[in-house]
Amino acid sequence: MPVINDMIPEFDLFQPADVDGALELLAKHDDAWVLAGGLDTFDWFKDRAKRPDVVVDLGAIDQLRGIREQGDGYEIGALTPLSDIENHEAIKAKFPMLAQAAQAVATPQVRNQGTLGGNIVQDTRCWYYRGGWPCYRAGGNICYADTPTSMNREHCIFGASRCVAVSPSDSAPALVALDAMMVVRSRSGEREVPAADFFIGPSTDITRMTVLNGRELLVAIRIPSTFAGAHQYFEKVRDRNAWDFPLVNVAAAFKRNGATIEDARVAVGAVAPYPMRLEAVEAQLRGKNADEATGKSAGELAIKGAKPLRHNGYKLPLMRNLVMRAVRDAQSAQA
Amino acid sequence: MAIFGKDYTPPDLHAKITGRAKYAEDFRADGMLFAKVLASPMPHARVRNIDASEALAMEGVEAILTADDLPDLGPLSERALTMEPLYEGEPILAVAATSELLAAEAIEKIKIDYEPLPFALDPLESLKPSGSNARVDGNTIVNERTEEGRRTVVKELRWSQDVFDEAGDHLPMGEHQDEWSYGDLEAGFAEADYVIEETLAHQSVTHHPMEPRTCMATVQNGKVILHASTQSVARTHGPAAAWSGIDGKDLVVIGEYCGGGFGSKIVGTVNMPIAALLAKKTNRPVMHRITRYEETYIGRARPGFQTWIKVGFRKDGSITALDMYIIQDNGPYGRQGDLSMGPTTASLAYQPQAMRFRGVSVLTNTPPRSAQRAPGGAQIIAMIEPMMDRAAAELGLDRLEIRRTNAPQGKAKVGPQRAEISSAFVHEMIDQAKEKLNWDELKTRSGQRNGSKVTGIGLGFSPFIGGVSGFDGLLVIKDDGKVHVHTGVGNLGTHSFSDTARVAADVLGLEWEDINVIWGNTGKHLPWTTVQAGSMTTHATTRAIHAAASDAKAKLQELAAAELGGSASSYDVSGGRVHPRGNRRGGMSLASAAQKAVARGGKFSGEELPENIHRMTTASATALAGQGLLGVAKDEYDNGGPLWSFVLGCAEIEIDVETGVLEMTNYTAITDCGTVMNPRSLAAQLHGGGIQGFGLARYQKWIYDPSWGIPFAHRFYTARPPTILDVPREMAWGAVGEPDPYTPVGAKGIGEPPIGAGQAALVSAIQDALGGKVIRKMPVMVENILNALEDRPQDTETLTAHS
Amino acid sequence: MDEPTTSVSRRNFIKGVIAGGATASASGYLFRQNGVLAQRSAPGSVERLVTLNVNGQNRPVDIAHEETLAMTLRYKLGLTGTKLGCDRAECGACTVLVDGRTHYACSILTHMVRGREIKTVEGLEGPNGELHPVQQAVMDEAGFQCAFCAPGFIMSMVALVEDKPGFTRDEAAHALSGHICRCGDYNKILNSAMRAGEIARST
Repeated sequence: MPVINDMIPEFDLFQPADVDGALELLAKHDDAWVLAGGLDTFDWFKDRAKRPDVVVDLGAIDQLRGIREQGDGYEIGALTPLSDIENHEAIKAKFPMLAQAAQAVATPQVRNQGTLGGNIVQDTRCWYYRGGWPCYRAGGNICYADTPTSMNREHCIFGASRCVAVSPSDSAPALVALDAMMVVRSRSGEREVPAADFFIGPSTDITRMTVLNGRELLVAIRIPSTFAGAHQYFEKVRDRNAWDFPLVNVAAAFKRNGATIEDARVAVGAVAPYPMRLEAVEAQLRGKNADEATGKSAGELAIKGAKPLRHNGYKLPLMRNLVMRAVRDAQSAQA
Repeated sequence: MAIFGKDYTPPDLHAKITGRAKYAEDFRADGMLFAKVLASPMPHARVRNIDASEALAMEGVEAILTADDLPDLGPLSERALTMEPLYEGEPILAVAATSELLAAEAIEKIKIDYEPLPFALDPLESLKPSGSNARVDGNTIVNERTEEGRRTVVKELRWSQDVFDEAGDHLPMGEHQDEWSYGDLEAGFAEADYVIEETLAHQSVTHHPMEPRTCMATVQNGKVILHASTQSVARTHGPAAAWSGIDGKDLVVIGEYCGGGFGSKIVGTVNMPIAALLAKKTNRPVMHRITRYEETYIGRARPGFQTWIKVGFRKDGSITALDMYIIQDNGPYGRQGDLSMGPTTASLAYQPQAMRFRGVSVLTNTPPRSAQRAPGGAQIIAMIEPMMDRAAAELGLDRLEIRRTNAPQGKAKVGPQRAEISSAFVHEMIDQAKEKLNWDELKTRSGQRNGSKVTGIGLGFSPFIGGVSGFDGLLVIKDDGKVHVHTGVGNLGTHSFSDTARVAADVLGLEWEDINVIWGNTGKHLPWTTVQAGSMTTHATTRAIHAAASDAKAKLQELAAAELGGSASSYDVSGGRVHPRGNRRGGMSLASAAQKAVARGGKFSGEELPENIHRMTTASATALAGQGLLGVAKDEYDNGGPLWSFVLGCAEIEIDVETGVLEMTNYTAITDCGTVMNPRSLAAQLHGGGIQGFGLARYQKWIYDPSWGIPFAHRFYTARPPTILDVPREMAWGAVGEPDPYTPVGAKGIGEPPIGAGQAALVSAIQDALGGKVIRKMPVMVENILNALEDRPQDTETLTAHS
Repeated sequence: MDEPTTSVSRRNFIKGVIAGGATASASGYLFRQNGVLAQRSAPGSVERLVTLNVNGQNRPVDIAHEETLAMTLRYKLGLTGTKLGCDRAECGACTVLVDGRTHYACSILTHMVRGREIKTVEGLEGPNGELHPVQQAVMDEAGFQCAFCAPGFIMSMVALVEDKPGFTRDEAAHALSGHICRCGDYNKILNSAMRAGEIARST
């Protein structure tokens, strides 16, 4: 709907050498835009729907890149390209669902450039909002995706609050299910935010999808050893096998004792405005045998309370079955 | 014929793989300006006023172009710019500036006063009593016969509410505007042992060639040199001149490479005048880059169908009657041929004893349509083929056998006139398929379960037009001893521009290396040529070049007789010489013959030309006269009736019953396309067309917000062309290879039918994997499969367009 | 906002959208004529005049801050082999190598690749025009039809051949999955990739 597309408006580009320099720029320029891999950013710019005067490219900050062993777990720099995660031997061995989630993103080129941090904090892909429609999320007073005639096949079945957009990330559900901690830096210091709290829904703040305010940076993701080497499951259903965002994805981790599930994490993406941790399902799974029957009841519980929109009713059986498959897979992998 | 049926390296390949091939956006010139268009933000409006004063005052903004600068070719003729946009995204004006960003910013400063007008997106909605018209004067487009001949008119058509109320979930079928039939339909259905009927919908789909329709124009000595992205070249010149209002003699069109068209760039593109006229206006080079976003709007699309089909079968599977009603989503401009080509294709594919077609073409405020690979044919084939499978299941017949029973063979008949086609070797094709597919084993895999996955097998039998005749060939044998073949076809990468030139080598007994193909530039003296569309190039141009090469051969023989004595018929041409029969070293070389032809003049050197050739060929031949021995002739060979080619596709898939996810495991395509010219390129057509069909079957569609008339699928990630991971890793093919008996080389075009074969085979395979469950709407998305598996209602209505 | 029942409310809505999407105005320099350098450059922001390493050559060039690598290559350095098919990281026609890794040149700022080695399709041939094994493979197999996508695919094949010499057909498909070929010539493209692997291994 914009009159002109695919012409990036002018901006001043800064390439600070360290995090402090970046934070200083963010403090100085109110509308400063943080640039990592840029794959979400350039869409906004090319659609001319976001026109910041100042862009802060984090690319020169080497300390933001890399996968490091840290205590019992791992710390991944926010600027680490997804392809580094997908190909990292220790990640593949200990946190396979994160490697799989990274590999499920878009295409090799996108993964060579797109960063883990960027995949986590990317904005929603609601086509009304991204198309420049003046919706609630864009500061207006209507949700165009949730009217009787709206086209909302890819929108949410949980967590709607004025806005029905979904979190499109593949890595986010995996990180939620791994109890990852998000390391957030501001000029006043560093804090760790559990992944499950890092993502916020529209009822908390409709204009953003994470707790990050404009003067903070996500600098690293810490993955504790909680589920290192434990059985994990990731599956993404999408239209095409390359490029496409999830219609629904599921990430799950299981601690087992024989056939019995001692502890589990299950998170689902693209069904809510945030990666959705299924705590009730996790509670139900504890102490149960990992089998198809347990999976089925987990799936049923998972979609309890779902509110489909006009065109996305299919997400209910899809989410239900993906949760079921995650649990059932924990059984098949025991042998 | 030794040269045909062999792989070879086409003369354009090296440039393509080194990055040297220049497509329209690759040309540069000093002082080049950039053009951008202002596109309508609403689906239907009248532009009351344009205030560009602020934009034009910007330093570096050099010119503005509006519809007033373009010739008016009649109310139904789309122009590059309009004062009454008929769809969201239709260009209203263009600005040229010293930088592209400046042009974009200038556009944003232009104030337009729009009068919004009612709009229509969905044909059925428009036909309702409360429906709105896509054009001010009506909502349907009709071909009328009048005393002055045929004309196309816009009419208003509304159906009563009763028509809709009584239809239930079937297609409402009110008053139609198109009809043809043959045979006794009622008797046909009465005779049938099994009757199947279905309401089905097929989406509208953008062509999306990789190269957007960018144009670049320069002005040299008063002539506009237009670099365009076009399927045809000789046939682009006329439309480019007419649409721009530029005198043909002042225009050169260059298009050596075209990054895909699929029917969307047949005679160039409607936006060509923007670069051409801005260049003329500013006397500077102008680059008009088209973005993917813009390509979605102005890049053409296949018309959608809302359809009702009824078929009657005898116990043996033979079709007694076929009845169909089609509502075509025509888009806002000229009437689309899909509406008639669909039923015509069905009349050939299934050879029904009796048939009726009724239909209506409804105007909508959505992007303009054009032919897209097997226009009409692909839609109808993809709808009927799954019905054939259900009939076979019902009648206890083999699916391949039921197709053979109804197959067109030999001089089969087509259309309401029951014209005899040139040739069909479909029985041979089906027999080859049966063997190549190992069909008897393969069909047993249908419905097999492997964990949560179920196998589906589907067939798609797809005929489509593959030729045309009556065009001209032009070549010059020069004193370098080489044959310079001038061809007016474009270069879409099908290799037909060079495949067809190989006929000259064949007729003149030369090596391929002795042929120089001259193509891609209307300044290079091109003959009158078929449009490069509808798979007509290979057939039409092999014939035309055969005629020209035969003319050259006859002239060589006559020349040798005159120079060396004896009769013309005592000479033959081979090995680079015209020589006495039986003495290949005698006579004279072609180089020497070329010199002698120039010395003799007259018909030999092109000073005298045949009278039956087109004026474009006459002009080109006149320009080439005196450069050597000219071969120039019109194709007047018998054509044996309408020419059709055939493909049978077979898809094997697995559907995960828990997720609806579909994986294609195998695809094989077998064809009857006459003589095989270039095996690798033929395989590429069979598989590439098949893959486009997979996209139609699985996920390519438009999505419009119906309240605002605004589309969302204007990106690749929302338009979803198939990726390399969505198709089988390796695909097989085969060809009958029987030459068409009526054409000198025997080759038929093969671009069109592969798409319908791929689409129909995949839709049939989905139905097969679902145990015969019918999905009534294309594309069949993951949710449609999952909903069917879960016995849930579908999330979108069958008959709602663009949803 | 009115319900979308009348054309008047539609107009208001659309006007609102346009206004909302066009809140700021800026003037750009992407294709400014030579000699007109950045009029505006905030203190501390990046230098526009940079030297790029492209196909082994150092190329000094004036780069706007918002300029993408595809634009620099195509419009400033004359390297038009890198094609723009979508400009949105959705087709792969603009794929180039940056330090040996594939990237979409349409979706990376030129300033993001300063100091890194950029390779385009024009940089593949040897000094005497010898074809790269991948190019030779495509010649052998007549890969591609319209070939607008070819330079991009070829760059991904180059990365594949170098990274994973013994790749399988399935691995090739995954490595090439960031490209669209609308002619649908994937079968022949994979044949070319496999042939490229053979040639590369034998030389």
